[in-house]
Amino acid sequence: MSVKIVKIEYYLPETIITNNDLEKQFIDWSSEKIEKKIGIKERHIVKEDETALDLALEAGKKILKIYDKDRIDFLLFCTQSPEYYLPSGACILQDRLGLKTNIGALDYNLGCSGFIYGLAMAKSLIISKIATNILLITSETYTKHIHSKDKSNRTIFGDAAAAVIIEKSKNEQIGEFVLGTDGSGYKNLIVPNGGLRNRYDINSKEIDDDSGSLRTDNNLYMNGPEIFNFTIDAVPKVVSETLGKNNTILENLDYVIFHQANKYMNEYLREKINIPKEKFYLNLLHTGNTVSATIPIAIKDALGNKLIKKGDKVLLVGFGVGYSWGGTIITI
Amino acid sequence: MEKMKTEDFINELKDALEIKVEDQKVTLETNLKDLEEYDSLSVLSIIAMIDKNFGKQIPSSDFSKVTTVSSLIESIGKEHFE
Repeated sequence: MSVKIVKIEYYLPETIITNNDLEKQFIDWSSEKIEKKIGIKERHIVKEDETALDLALEAGKKILKIYDKDRIDFLLFCTQSPEYYLPSGACILQDRLGLKTNIGALDYNLGCSGFIYGLAMAKSLIISKIATNILLITSETYTKHIHSKDKSNRTIFGDAAAAVIIEKSKNEQIGEFVLGTDGSGYKNLIVPNGGLRNRYDINSKEIDDDSGSLRTDNNLYMNGPEIFNFTIDAVPKVVSETLGKNNTILENLDYVIFHQANKYMNEYLREKINIPKEKFYLNLLHTGNTVSATIPIAIKDALGNKLIKKGDKVLLVGFGVGYSWGGTIITI
Repeated sequence: MEKMKTEDFINELKDALEIKVEDQKVTLETNLKDLEEYDSLSVLSIIAMIDKNFGKQIPSSDFSKVTTVSSLIESIGKEHFE
């Protein structure tokens, strides 16, 4: 049995923060420098009363306008910004999207590798005959976790949700997977407080990261240099392992889409792995790093911009928080 | 990997920091944090430069202890230099 992605939609929240907005708040932050180096001009962010589930609902509604909701028999929901500890967001989504009740639905907690893991699970659910038509939604609102004075993370991250439908197909259009995990790096990208290990602490003190960004342990913390070290080490390996497992070489691929972390990092990885520039997707200009939503957004936009077309073989690689990573090759 | 001349390393470093060669004097004694160009973005460039030239990643705990150019060279390992 074989599988394919048949539909992709995404939703960006209405509020936009531009580099100029950030420049006004952080006096030594150059809008021009940010855009040149990080490749981000603006990012969409949720309002105070808007959550990842709300974004997921919008992306879900969009895809159900072009796909019969009664055909869906499994819902996978990826987020690290859940509505509640319990119940699962997926259960709430099943009801709000008006999906049938005789379907499976579950949440999973992953970040930048989340879309790849979602595809892997969707493929195995279909092949094992547990499901036939799967709705996979990745939705993230890291801005909820970021301190208002954390200029680095406010620059990089944006909020978004993406929805895809995975179905049975005649030919295999989702290839073999390489998945990886190294929890030894868990402290390098973390929201320390707010779970059950360290409760949210209203008196948590402000920490200056030495480069003019502030945060508390209630907020998102990212050790940028260490995350870059991890990607330099992990991404070339996952690329070569994914190619190997799919019995192909880089030259036989039509296109490569990495998780859109930031322009500088992705461009360095591209050079290191020797991926030709014209085969490499790089666009965070209007969205920033939207975590588990970057890859489906990139596929949709690359299709829209005719960078990829039906029949193309595209390498997808996700990597980040956990640490967690994964790669696969899809046929458009 | 070939050993690198200190002078070449300083030029690579200036390049990573986007300091024009003729613009500013950077020596072994220069404290990186005193440079206007040194910020969280330029740290990414320095990490990339070190990986490219030495095939090596400096743990961030070591990186945070780096003060002068000379101490950065020590973190990379003096054996990599002429």
